[in-house]
Amino acid sequence: MASVSCKDLRKTFSQGETTVIGLDGVSLDIEKGSFMCLSGPSGSGKTTLLNAIGGLDTPDSGEISIGGERIDQLAKSDLADMRLHNIGFVFQAYNLIPVLTARENVEFVMQLQGQSVEQRRELSTSILEEVGLQGMEDRLPTQLSGGQQQRVAVARAIVSEPQLVLADEPTANLDSKTSTQLMDLFWQLNERRGITFVIATHDARVMSYCRRIIRMVDGQIIADENQAGGPGNAD
Amino acid sequence: MTANFLLAWRNLWRSQRRTWLTVGAMIFCNALMVFMLSLQFGTYGLMIETSLKTFSGHLQIQKVGYLDEPRMRDSFAGVAELSASLRKELGLERVSARAEGFALASSEERSFGIQVVGVEPDHEPLVSTLPGLIKRGRWLSDMDAPEIIVGAALARNLKLDIGNELTLLGTGADGSMAATIVTVVGIVESGMGDLDRMLAQMPLGYFQSVFVMEDQAHRIVMDVNSLEAVAPVKLQIGELIQGRSDLVVLDWDEIQPGLRQGIQADMASAWFIYGILILLVSFSVLNTQLMSVLERTREFGVMLAFGIQPARLARLVLLETGLMAALGLIIGVAIGGSIAVYISLEGFSFPGMEEAMAQYNLPGKIFPEITLAGVLLGPSVVCVGSILAALYPALRLLWLQPVQAMRSV
Amino acid sequence: MQMSLQVLATLAWRNLWRNYRRTLIMLAAIILGVWAMIFMTALMRGMVDGVVSDGIKYLPGHAQIHHPSFRDDPSVEHAIKNLSPELLAALKQPGITGWSARVKVPGMIASERDSRGIMLLGVDPAQELTVTFSADDIVEGRFLESSADTGVVVGRKMLEHLETKLGRRIVLMSQTPDNDVGDRGFRIVGVYRAGQSSQEEMYVYAGREVVQKMIGIGPAVTELSVIGNDYRNLSPWLEQLQTAAGGNLDVAGWRELDNYLSLALTMQDSIGLVMTLLIFVVLSFGLVNIMAMAVFERVREIGLMQALGMQPRAILVQVLIEGLYLLVLGLCIGNGLAWLSLQPLAAGIDLSIIAEGADMYGLGTTLYPSLKPVDMIQSTVLVIFLGLLASLLPAWRAARLDPIRALNEH
Repeated sequence: MASVSCKDLRKTFSQGETTVIGLDGVSLDIEKGSFMCLSGPSGSGKTTLLNAIGGLDTPDSGEISIGGERIDQLAKSDLADMRLHNIGFVFQAYNLIPVLTARENVEFVMQLQGQSVEQRRELSTSILEEVGLQGMEDRLPTQLSGGQQQRVAVARAIVSEPQLVLADEPTANLDSKTSTQLMDLFWQLNERRGITFVIATHDARVMSYCRRIIRMVDGQIIADENQAGGPGNAD
Repeated sequence: MTANFLLAWRNLWRSQRRTWLTVGAMIFCNALMVFMLSLQFGTYGLMIETSLKTFSGHLQIQKVGYLDEPRMRDSFAGVAELSASLRKELGLERVSARAEGFALASSEERSFGIQVVGVEPDHEPLVSTLPGLIKRGRWLSDMDAPEIIVGAALARNLKLDIGNELTLLGTGADGSMAATIVTVVGIVESGMGDLDRMLAQMPLGYFQSVFVMEDQAHRIVMDVNSLEAVAPVKLQIGELIQGRSDLVVLDWDEIQPGLRQGIQADMASAWFIYGILILLVSFSVLNTQLMSVLERTREFGVMLAFGIQPARLARLVLLETGLMAALGLIIGVAIGGSIAVYISLEGFSFPGMEEAMAQYNLPGKIFPEITLAGVLLGPSVVCVGSILAALYPALRLLWLQPVQAMRSV
Repeated sequence: MQMSLQVLATLAWRNLWRNYRRTLIMLAAIILGVWAMIFMTALMRGMVDGVVSDGIKYLPGHAQIHHPSFRDDPSVEHAIKNLSPELLAALKQPGITGWSARVKVPGMIASERDSRGIMLLGVDPAQELTVTFSADDIVEGRFLESSADTGVVVGRKMLEHLETKLGRRIVLMSQTPDNDVGDRGFRIVGVYRAGQSSQEEMYVYAGREVVQKMIGIGPAVTELSVIGNDYRNLSPWLEQLQTAAGGNLDVAGWRELDNYLSLALTMQDSIGLVMTLLIFVVLSFGLVNIMAMAVFERVREIGLMQALGMQPRAILVQVLIEGLYLLVLGLCIGNGLAWLSLQPLAAGIDLSIIAEGADMYGLGTTLYPSLKPVDMIQSTVLVIFLGLLASLLPAWRAARLDPIRALNEH
């Protein structure tokens, strides 16, 4: 069964007096365990699509369901709950809450979910170890490098075992070496845990990791390609 | 200058909400002070006028020492001549002599110890409003008539009415027993509790003969029309009585020090609150300007890099603060002033005020007095406070390093 | 929601100190405001307490019992002939700390030098000392020793007026029921002082039996003055006293006897509240301002938290908690400072340099600030309630932020 299913999504934004088309009839199914990316020039609608899937934004028309459940008609607070339990986010930058340490950032979502202190402590320790941040648990975001910050964001995104991790240009602020390391991490998590990854990017290196690449222009899907993906395809 | 002005004005509106909140605090504080100060000045003027016009007058001539310890025997002679020369040489129209003594007053049914004042029937109405407040009967007719007027509450307590006789029993100036019977000819109702309970006035001439005072008196009371005239007239009188070392001229402040002290105490406690409010506004300004400077660190860095003097940036920040303060002043004064003007037409009162005011011998309504000082005093202090508060964020700019500044977010 | 309260509290606390300068300035403003509220209230309460307790001391006591006509026509004719056993029993109630049966009549005092009108109090010294008079008030000589003491105790100021001295003789005169004048010579055995000079000029104490004999009223008294343990609250005993007195006597609390004092007390309470509100309004401009600044510079991060699934109302609560921390800190320190700054003043503030002005307001020469927990609690509750109300607007705007826009904020 498809993990995510979109049918004929449409969305326009008004910018002053002009109307910008965000999504123009997008239909898409995402299988569970996918490792895919949305690519296209800026303004092509990839971030809009990502936001719609993540329940951050509602389309003007069309249907979205996650795990078989319609989310396009949900109220604001129900959407928040849906995100909390089903979706992990990794953004381009400013991913972390500045006043919380790495561990607290990871535990933040678990706290919102109401997990116990012991459970949180155990999980956050193992997840931070898994993303390679052992020994840095108590550092504040300002004391971490850009790559390390993104790893904390990844740890936070996967800690609640979501159905889906959505990443919006996760490597845009990283150098190439760190980018590769982050993508390796994504790949491992997908392989090991079967987490579905949807990554919006225009970074060729990121695309090379993906098994499926959706290309978008002007709010429409113009290509949907499958490839082997995985590490080592770059360069 | 104009360029700076424009820049400062535009900068203010980059963060509208913040500017309005800061200006709002100023407006509130200014409007409140304008209104309260004019109300206070109105009250004080009323307190002074009411209490001086009622009884004590603006100036008095007394025997040295009588003020501190009013003794029956501390009277002075030559009253008529002195009054005459005050009228003739100084051109004072409102001059009246008084004598005072204590007596046990007995009506048919009741007795009370009271203070009796001997007044000149012809001149007393010129210096005191009390003769005009006779509700029943009439004013004293003649210097030597055996008559008395009493306060309404005293009349009630003594069970007296017009035409009744009252026996007075006291001590004369020579220590002898002074006793007489006088007829009640008038009853005064001033609405001022203490006065109505205590007031008893009889003709000076008759008083002098009863209390064995010859032609002496205890005070010559003068009304000089306005408070401003008090000081110069006092000097003139001082010269006039130079030859009489037993006499002294006293102004209203010396006669009733409580009045000024009461006003000063009231003013001081009001300024305590105003001071706190102004400090709070200044804190608000400090915070706003500090935030605004920190936010613009990068921008200031760029400006420094262009070669703009740090002092000019500091002046810019102070100018912004000055503009805010001016805005707060104009709007605050407009609001507070219009409320004060409106109330000065209607009079200010609240439930229970009348009773409270009666205690201080005041009518139940207050009319704010709008003076330039009252309107501008408070708001100017707010302006000064605001500028002072902005000094810290402004002066910080003098130590700003362009490169570091440009790197900051 | 409750599960995340802890994390909200942590976030709020740390956010508070991100811009420590701003927070400290606001905190200083709150502390100053709270200090001023409490300090001023304590001074005002001290002032009114002084006015009321002096007023009560020399005028009515907490309650008075009279002949029903006495208050309209204060004459010896309207005296209380005898006290019923029921009334005497009712005067033993807990809550009543003392009472005194007096002959209180207007009269005259005369020395060889001068004479004055006075209020003559014929008292039983043992009873009087339980009510208003304190042995400490005697500055020279002694207080009366018994109801039959033939001495007289006068105020300091009166002694000056009469130009007489302790040990000298004076004559007291007052009206008898048949409107003759009763008079008698007395020796001055004591001089007292009072908070206000007008009181020293007004009241003269003599033995009750002696005064009764002087004006020929047998064992009758004109007034019964009663003191309880709290002048603000007479209700525990006043009604029983009224019942016990029956219809033959008039029992009245001080509020009824002295409208002005009662009004002064009511006014003080409302002025205190108005002052607290004024200070608060000015504070709230600053509070709304910094809460709004705090929200708007964190828009992006609020968007992030929303994206992570935080409920809008949790964001609202977080901002409110931040405001609450600021208020509670300010209140604690402000209250503490007010308490500390009142300590050196506890011995009283000397008002003698403005004695005449103070007199005008019915105030003695010493002002004792009075810090009541209820005032601190009242302003604390008010500030927290209104402060949260002021924080609500920025908090609400934070909660209503659109996550996508917030995330894209630069």
